Amino acid sequence: MQNMIKYIFRRIVAVVIMIFLVMTVNFFLIHAAPGGPATVMTGLEFPSKEIIEALNKQYGLDKPIAVQYLEYMGNLLRGNLGYSYIYSESSWNLIEGRIFPTLILTITSSVLAFVIGVYMAIFVSRLRNKYGELSASLLSYILYAVPSFWLALIMIIIFSSDLKLFPTSGMLSLRYSYSGIEGVIDFIHHLVLPVSTLTLIQIPVFYRITRTSIVQNQGEDYITTLTAIGVPKEKLFRKYVMKNSIVPPLTIFGIMLGFSITGTVILERVFAWPGMGRLMLDAISRRDYQLLLGIYFLMALFISVAMFVTDILIAFLDPRVRLT
Amino acid sequence: MLLMLIIMAVFAPYISPYNPYATSNNVLSPPSLTNLFGTDSLGRDIFSRVIYGTRTSLLVGVIAAGISAIIGILVGTFSGYYGGIIDEGLSKVIDAFLMVPVFFLILIIVAIFGSNLFYIMLVIGLTTWPPNARIMRGQVLSLKERSFVKIAKSTEGSDMQVIFLHIIPNGVYPVIANSALQMGGAILTEAALSFLGLGDPNVISWGAMINDGTMYMTYAWWTVVFPGIFITLAVITFSFIGDGLQYVMNPKLSKGVAEIESS
Repeated sequence: MQNMIKYIFRRIVAVVIMIFLVMTVNFFLIHAAPGGPATVMTGLEFPSKEIIEALNKQYGLDKPIAVQYLEYMGNLLRGNLGYSYIYSESSWNLIEGRIFPTLILTITSSVLAFVIGVYMAIFVSRLRNKYGELSASLLSYILYAVPSFWLALIMIIIFSSDLKLFPTSGMLSLRYSYSGIEGVIDFIHHLVLPVSTLTLIQIPVFYRITRTSIVQNQGEDYITTLTAIGVPKEKLFRKYVMKNSIVPPLTIFGIMLGFSITGTVILERVFAWPGMGRLMLDAISRRDYQLLLGIYFLMALFISVAMFVTDILIAFLDPRVRLT
Repeated sequence: MLLMLIIMAVFAPYISPYNPYATSNNVLSPPSLTNLFGTDSLGRDIFSRVIYGTRTSLLVGVIAAGISAIIGILVGTFSGYYGGIIDEGLSKVIDAFLMVPVFFLILIIVAIFGSNLFYIMLVIGLTTWPPNARIMRGQVLSLKERSFVKIAKSTEGSDMQVIFLHIIPNGVYPVIANSALQMGGAILTEAALSFLGLGDPNVISWGAMINDGTMYMTYAWWTVVFPGIFITLAVITFSFIGDGLQYVMNPKLSKGVAEIESS
């Protein structure tokens, strides 16, 4: 148990260092940008000095960069994500409504990909068929290489535009505002294409890692021994191989959530999904620095918390992790 | 497949039937014998543009992965070789970096500093080195204990000679295999960036072609489909190479060699 506490503490330190690193790098990057925020706010190519000075003063941009940095960090620690110059509203108010749409895409697709990828690997291993294995690994290569946005467009061409099965974009129908159970169905109807695209591109990673670990586990000495004793293969597979093979795909689940949120951001643009990704892209094109920093901070936080939780979970499942 | 891509990139002007920048009145025409992959919204030949796009993608893949490999090798080697505080510090940085959502970082940097192809390659290289460093560090830790390195330490003049003559040449292969995989990753990243409109507007990029085609895709599928197929092919090629290399040097094999050497 003491090992466990030590381990948890070490992970927390790593998370804190990472968040601090992310924010520092980003703050300085954004302030090193050519032009600076005041120029962008005026909307003019060559704004007069007076306007710049007034704006700088109003938003505290005239203070030395070190002071701005400390203020920014202080604000973050108090849970204040900053203020969007463009919308004249606090970043949090803008981001708040966007969190749920992004997370539901990210988490649903990762969980689905995990289940499908692991199941596929188990299925292929049970099959013990050369062609089955070959086609599964070819499929995983293709899905790994396909760009998410392209796959999404192809899905739209096939399922929305030709077959007219699913809506092309958005999260809810604009023309009718459903409520209650109909609203939920409408929402799921819009969810199908983005989630299936995201799931498809994540399957290969889970598939390959599970498949590798099954192959490795099957080659272990204790399996050979148990086979020699006469334990039925089916039982051996269910009881020992499968149990041990499930840990590696779990360990990368946290990392995959980070990967998944990246995919979500790109796909939100394709499907016009009202999540954090689209807000982020808007913020980039409008040079809304504070909003951008706020979104990036939240995403980094989300990813590190996800990784932290999976790490702890693994440590409970696999005692070897704690000791290293 | 790699050979095909390289040929496409090197001999692009000879293979492509049209000038990839030349516009024509033949707008959004479907694939035919004159325009194999059809034409885009400005009447440009998509087949020619796809061929020229190979250049951009290969360049991004090779240079970005190259930068990432060099930084990774150096950081990993010094961290593993010297150990102690240097190793502690560098390992913490590597660990923290591994958790950073890299794509967003690239997105933000490119958005701020402009979308020049050179920046894009540089940024991808600068943000993807930690896995290489981790692999290299592991390699160095095991190489350090091997007898030929210990002998080299006593015969060579300086640490630098040991590192560059003995450790790096012997430990670099897993990083090379990983780099092949990273080339595919870099190609995907560049494609995604140019799809989001953050790519270099002066070069022909597969991602940007898909972005251009999005508006017309419901009635001109060829504007979107062909560039995407080529992105997929390029990335698959590099995955095959990377996995092939990894298979050739699988740990069991190299362990056998190590045992022979040290005995």
